[in-house]
Amino acid sequence: MSIIGRIKKSSLTYSLFIVAFFAVLTVSAQDAASTQDGEALFKANCASCHAVKEKMIGPALKGIETRRSEEWILKWVKNSSAVIKSGDDYAVKLYNDNNKVAMPSFNLKDAEINSILAYIKVEAAKPDAVPGGAGVPGAAPVQEEKPIGLYLLIAAIVLLLLAGMLGRVQQILERTVRQREGLPEPVPMSRKAAAIHWARNNKKLVAVLLLVFVSWGSVKGWYTLKNIGVMQGYTPDQPIKYSHKLHAGEMQIQCIYCHSGAERGKVAGIPSANVCMNCHKYVRKGPETGTEEIAKIYKALDYDPDKGTYGPNPKPIQWVRVHNLPDLAYFNHGQHVAVGKIACQTCHGPVQDSMTVVGQYSPLTMGWCIDCHRRTEVKMAGNAYYNDYHKELLSKPGADSIITVSEIGGLECARCHY
Amino acid sequence: MSQRYWKGMEELRNEPEFNRLKNNEFYENLPLDEVMQKKSDDVSLTPRRDFLKFLGFGVAAASLAACEAPVRKTIPYLIRPDQITPGIANWYASTYFDGYDYCSVLVKTRDGRPIKLEGNTLSSVTKGGVNARVQASILSLYDSVRYKSPMIGGKSASWSEVDGEVAGKLAGIAAKGGKIRILSSTVNSPSTLKVIGDFATKFPTAKHIQYDAVSASAMRQANMESFGVNAIPSYSLDKAEVIVSLGADFLVNWISPVEHSKQYAATRKLDDGKKSMSRHIQFESALSVTGSNADQRVTVKPSQQMAVATALYNAVAAKSGATPVASSASGELQKTVNTVAEELLSSKGKSVVLCGINNVALQNVVNGINALLGNYGSTIDLDNYSNLRNGSDADMAGLMDELSKGEVAALLVYNCNPVYTHPKGADIAKAMKSIELTVAFSDRPDETASMCGYNCPDLHQLESWNDFEPRHGAYSLSQPTISPLFDARQMQESLMNWSGNPGNYHDYLRANWSAKATSWEKALQDGLVETTGGTVAQPYTCKADLSAAANTASATSGMELVIYEKTGIGNGAQANNPWLQELPDPITKITWDNYLTVSPADAREKGWKQGNVITIKVGNSSVKAPVVVQPGQAVGTVGIALGYGRTVAGKVADNRGVNAYQLVGMEGSTLSYNLSGVSIDKTTDDDYVLAGTQTHHTMMGREIVKETTLGAWIKNPKAGNPEELFEVHVGHEKTEKPAEEVSLWDNHEDGHHHWGMAIDLNSCTGCGSCVVACTAENNVPVVGKDEVQRSREMHWMRIDRYYSSDADPKEGESGDIKLMEIPSDNPRVVFQPVMCQHCAHAPCETVCPVIATSHSSEGLNQMTYNRCVGTRYCANNCPYKVRRFNWFKYSDNEQFATNISMNDDLGKMVLNPDVTVRARGVMEKCSMCVQRIQEGKLNAKRAGQPISDGQIQTACAQSCPTNAITFGDFRNKESRLNKLWDPKGRSYHLLGELNVQPNVYYQTKVRNIEEGKEA
Repeated sequence: MSIIGRIKKSSLTYSLFIVAFFAVLTVSAQDAASTQDGEALFKANCASCHAVKEKMIGPALKGIETRRSEEWILKWVKNSSAVIKSGDDYAVKLYNDNNKVAMPSFNLKDAEINSILAYIKVEAAKPDAVPGGAGVPGAAPVQEEKPIGLYLLIAAIVLLLLAGMLGRVQQILERTVRQREGLPEPVPMSRKAAAIHWARNNKKLVAVLLLVFVSWGSVKGWYTLKNIGVMQGYTPDQPIKYSHKLHAGEMQIQCIYCHSGAERGKVAGIPSANVCMNCHKYVRKGPETGTEEIAKIYKALDYDPDKGTYGPNPKPIQWVRVHNLPDLAYFNHGQHVAVGKIACQTCHGPVQDSMTVVGQYSPLTMGWCIDCHRRTEVKMAGNAYYNDYHKELLSKPGADSIITVSEIGGLECARCHY
Repeated sequence: MSQRYWKGMEELRNEPEFNRLKNNEFYENLPLDEVMQKKSDDVSLTPRRDFLKFLGFGVAAASLAACEAPVRKTIPYLIRPDQITPGIANWYASTYFDGYDYCSVLVKTRDGRPIKLEGNTLSSVTKGGVNARVQASILSLYDSVRYKSPMIGGKSASWSEVDGEVAGKLAGIAAKGGKIRILSSTVNSPSTLKVIGDFATKFPTAKHIQYDAVSASAMRQANMESFGVNAIPSYSLDKAEVIVSLGADFLVNWISPVEHSKQYAATRKLDDGKKSMSRHIQFESALSVTGSNADQRVTVKPSQQMAVATALYNAVAAKSGATPVASSASGELQKTVNTVAEELLSSKGKSVVLCGINNVALQNVVNGINALLGNYGSTIDLDNYSNLRNGSDADMAGLMDELSKGEVAALLVYNCNPVYTHPKGADIAKAMKSIELTVAFSDRPDETASMCGYNCPDLHQLESWNDFEPRHGAYSLSQPTISPLFDARQMQESLMNWSGNPGNYHDYLRANWSAKATSWEKALQDGLVETTGGTVAQPYTCKADLSAAANTASATSGMELVIYEKTGIGNGAQANNPWLQELPDPITKITWDNYLTVSPADAREKGWKQGNVITIKVGNSSVKAPVVVQPGQAVGTVGIALGYGRTVAGKVADNRGVNAYQLVGMEGSTLSYNLSGVSIDKTTDDDYVLAGTQTHHTMMGREIVKETTLGAWIKNPKAGNPEELFEVHVGHEKTEKPAEEVSLWDNHEDGHHHWGMAIDLNSCTGCGSCVVACTAENNVPVVGKDEVQRSREMHWMRIDRYYSSDADPKEGESGDIKLMEIPSDNPRVVFQPVMCQHCAHAPCETVCPVIATSHSSEGLNQMTYNRCVGTRYCANNCPYKVRRFNWFKYSDNEQFATNISMNDDLGKMVLNPDVTVRARGVMEKCSMCVQRIQEGKLNAKRAGQPISDGQIQTACAQSCPTNAITFGDFRNKESRLNKLWDPKGRSYHLLGELNVQPNVYYQTKVRNIEEGKEA
């Protein structure tokens, strides 16, 4: 065989191999594509009423391909009421079993429906997820920062050792000098006497040390006293393990959606349970705690998720208040959110990024309020309430273009205390 | 002659008590000796060490307590109602009518709790005014004495049990033909009357009797006799140039006081270039609020009122060609009446004569005068009549007769308390014991309800649906603003149930309204439907036999008694309301009690002193009450107020004062509140201590009220308001400068706003509505009688009442003002509301060691409670004496149980959540409703609009039934506040010579009298 022939043969084998490889690749890619499309389509069209493994508004879809024929499913999805009208026994029973809620018609292509079915099949085969298991966001190990105190401690020990050594050297030198000069040994003193003796000889040093100690003590004492009642970092346990990180972060629900009072009133408000139900009527299982926590909302409302009915014994949810301002201070969310256009996170911290359980981010002390009032610019432009006053302030001698809250009386007592 | 002002008889007599109060606002020293030392002579004790121990313990305890933060729960709605946003107030239009006071109101609710009532400006009846009693009714809603459930024989029962038994008994009684009587105060609700009508159809032996505790029945009867109209007219005082009142206290009590006040004030204002005002002449015996506002006040005994009326009639008749009637007037009185008649005649058709005396003959004569003057059809409207006093004394007398004969088989008592309010209450109580079925609808225990076999508690006004027709053709609605607090049911639903037509009164009401209202939603939103125009008022001719009426006047001898109503307590239905009990009476300034007012002349003659207890006997009834020496009381008369001496009302009212209803007389079937032949004896009892506020917080005898006469003011707008000039040295030159140019301090720079208030002394009637409004708005505690006695009342605003009389300058020079006692027998009166003046150069601010009180860039004098350490320096340095110190913790403190708005869970629902409840040991004072200012500013900012004038109102300004208080922004050139400010005219600052630059200014009072003429 010529070289060419060998080459040809091998190229053929290669080609065959390559073709086969690509064929396999394409097929698996197609499979993957159809389940992926299926997932997207399922979430877009079906997920609000159906889950794969449990009943929601509609029945669980696991095993649907074995229960019904493909042809029937296609008809049903495209126009379920027509199937019911046609008198199909299964369809009528299905309709009656599900509180006579008809499934809406979907304008989907056969291929799309098939890809949804493929997705259901794949999902159904997956083992049940363990709630709260690995992969819970927020549990990832955090790079621990070596505290600077440790270095300082090491340095202090080294210095102390050095000082001790030097002292010893000095003692030996002194003794050597005394022996050489023939001086008498000093009279041994009690420790106390020695300390007093030392202090007398080092008055300046003692004074400085005392001063440092007293100043440190006062400052420390002052801050300790000042922080009495400051609850920064207060993160109480709540009756429902509600995660702001999940809702506001991953799900990107706007703060105002639940805390609807924030733009209008004094309090932002804890949402009433009916606001939760806007979503949780359909979302019956969470990614972190499964059905356990959502069931608490149902219990509070005495809601039966299977029947979709409300019972006669609702019981309010008793949340633990995180942010407690004293009664003597008046704070209005509307003023800050709607007028001042301050982002919620300015005071409440990165709720959406790291607060699985919400805690008090800011100290909520008067000093903290005042500092912000000194810094923050008033949004005067475009608000007719400020019109003339804005011009007046800008035309004042020495005025700059930034007018802070404190410049319009934002530090006065009766803005917050009455 | 010059005017001298004095606060009370104590000042005239220069009593030591008065001087002590005058010179020392906090005259009681702290009992330090008791705390620090067991015995003052025991020197072995070491009080200092003890003191330090206490101090140390206190600090330690405080810090420990602060370390532990309590876990606070927050419980949101499960399903939030659409219209409720926590923290934002909702307002609902509604109506207050309790058979006595009527007001169309707006109810402010916070998180489902009504917390404040304000006037509804859409109402043509009350025009946005409210009085003290209506303001205070919000607290009555949260009174824990209210019945918690229906009761049978005093034991709690269920509604089905009650319905079963009552309906059964009613059927039995009706079958036997037994008389069923529904007794109520005035009912002007068309739907309620229909429900009662349905009931009467079902039980044909049933009859509805209306009866008013303070009756105006004689007026209805007289109008029937004079004009053939069984009604009480409505008045248009705003059209009157001359108003003559015979004993009618029309500004605070008589029939429709808020309506009258609004109209009256319109004729008294001298703003916007108006140069005329009405002339008001009052003939009366006891000094009333209305009388104290009159230009000319004539003291007469009640028995002389007929002589006044007939003389007036004759004088008018002489010029109108009518036949004169017999009159016993003579001498000075005749002369006075003649001049009054001339004034009336010169304003024919633009005058009005009012008579508040429940006497048919007298009312007939007054009708005759008004008819001759052509006032019907202009100032008096008998076609669009008033429906606020529908009671009939004759019907009540008929019922009394039936009761005494034992003919009544069933008595249903609705919205009235006859055992307490009827002079023969004891007889009613006795008769009730033998009645087969007695049902009370009262929502709280009272003297009558506690005797009834069945208690079917009605809902409070603020919990119920109803409709009203205060004036013919003017309808208003009330709607629930809170879910029923207890297991109570509307009286109408109870009656519907027993009539065999069970249902919901709301549906019944709507069905009844479908014919009336064009839009139910609109009517509900406005709170009213008023037919535009109404019936055109007609002139009337008096047909009554006036000569017969005139002859009913009988000669009397001995002391006469006048029974009157107080501005706060009124007819006594709301006596268990501490806001009303602590509201100082506008005239005597006494709180928590009623008493006998006697004239200074009688007191001198009989040797009575303030606080002496005397017995007063009329017929078979007698009461013991303390004496109050009251300038302006007619000689030979004594006065006593109704509404006190309750026995089954609750801890606030029980056994306070004496029940004057038992003294009310009967003239035929008519109730008479004026009695003659009264015997009075001084008892040997110890003197009674009355808690009055008139001499508290005095301004060291400085001249602070300014007044002039209309003539003088027209000639010189600055009359009575001379400029305060200071002698100053400019270089070596001695010169005079206006006080406001002499100052130690630099001026404050104005911020975006500069808030201020104007108070028109000419319009203020002293009614006290603002004081209660302020109490409700600002969580002002009630301190109780003992504390008021110690000058520790907490009201943020007070209404100073000054008497003035002409004094001989020589008397003034000698410093002996005792000689003024004689002219003081009928003094002129000025009312002056005083609250924090929000001085720009505030003396309080400069002395506070902790800067707890400071000035804002918006002109407010701010008080920061949490910073205050209670030195009271500020109060000592305040020239206006408007700062109040919290001597005690008034909330959650059993010792202040009468402060019901802060001492039980139910009462606390009335607190305004936007205002701090102050702790012990801090100063407080008027904040100019800073919470309302802040709210108004926020709303404007959110809407992106400037604040328009009138958008923000303080509580006092909003509630004022005469618009005497104007709140506004000095920096808004268009504001009413700026327009009224006229330093070249009537405007002045209180104690202007101090130049503390207050942000509150006053307008000189102008009297419509001739200069130098005796009032």
